[in-house]
Amino acid sequence: MNASIRGAAAAFFLACLLSIIWASPAESKTITIDDSGTQALEPSVSMRWKTASPSRTQPDNTLVGTTTIRVRINVTPWLRRSGKIYLNLPAQQPGPITASWTTQGRFMPGQIHSGNRMLVYAGPISTPFMEDVLKFQFSVDGALIRRAVPVTFHFEMDED
Amino acid sequence: MTLAGQRVRINRDRLRRALIGAALLGSVAGSAWSYTITLNPAAPLTVYLQVGVGSFTAIYNNGGQPGNNTTINTVSVTVPTGTVGNGTAQAMTTNSTAAVSFIDGFSFCNVPGELYIGGFYRTTGGKTAAALVTATVPAALTNAGGNTIPFSKISWTSGGNGDTGAEPFPSATFINGGVQNVGSMASNTWNESCWTFSYLNNTVPPAGTFTGVVRYTLSAP
Repeated sequence: MNASIRGAAAAFFLACLLSIIWASPAESKTITIDDSGTQALEPSVSMRWKTASPSRTQPDNTLVGTTTIRVRINVTPWLRRSGKIYLNLPAQQPGPITASWTTQGRFMPGQIHSGNRMLVYAGPISTPFMEDVLKFQFSVDGALIRRAVPVTFHFEMDED
Repeated sequence: MTLAGQRVRINRDRLRRALIGAALLGSVAGSAWSYTITLNPAAPLTVYLQVGVGSFTAIYNNGGQPGNNTTINTVSVTVPTGTVGNGTAQAMTTNSTAAVSFIDGFSFCNVPGELYIGGFYRTTGGKTAAALVTATVPAALTNAGGNTIPFSKISWTSGGNGDTGAEPFPSATFINGGVQNVGSMASNTWNESCWTFSYLNNTVPPAGTFTGVVRYTLSAP
């Protein structure tokens, strides 16, 4: 009796596991991509006033800074499949941040406001790693930053 | 049967905990990948104050940069005989030639009737209190004989070509000795006014040339 219950339970759990495994490809999932191979040529971005001179009337308090980042993401788990890759800039301190970037062609250029994500690649994944050199320009209200602040972003995959 | 059922429940609980644990581990591992850069305010703190003539390499909006100018300009009036002390205010004029604003080349003041005062205050980032402009004023103007005229006999009105609304360096009268506030500059702004000075002329001092030097200072927080 115990053996039959154990057997039934095992079959039940196996079914559950299989259903979990089998359900995943059918649903669109978003997974953060391993970007541990990414390197910034200037990890500290010097932020300077956007306008060359101060305003006589309403001040433009926008600070801008540029940096070049050599992006290398590990897409091995999606090899020989298709997917959409997004750059995600989460909402974070010190407040609203805008990032725009140009690429060398592997990824798409774009612009993003913090709290959003932007498509940088859509199509087949044919190599274990995807690389590109992105030139970023960050913009932030100068009234928000009085000292150096860290800003994080990541790449994520929407599986087809 | 009961025992077996309990064992099944225990196993199911363990499995559920294990699955939840695995799910949590997956979530944590997934969110661990992110890249961090640092935004570092790097614009230099810069202040500029010009009273009378000043120096810029070119118009600021065209990339010009401010420089030092050691000129001390004068504001003066010669009160005609017969009108000394009659209570009619006497307009003063300046030897300053500064009529054009260095920010954009606009003809802002009318010389010699107006004295230009202006400048800017730029921070490295962050909103700060305004920078203050003060005047350090002697107690009186003096002549060679040691006679005096109180500085409070001199006042100014403030304006500027095309200006409307409040001036950053408003109209006022000198105090008789001490430091007085004459205006302020919010961070990251250009501020300017044109001052028209006048001598009150309601007393009769001894004849002579009376002088005094007022020093203007911009203090950034």
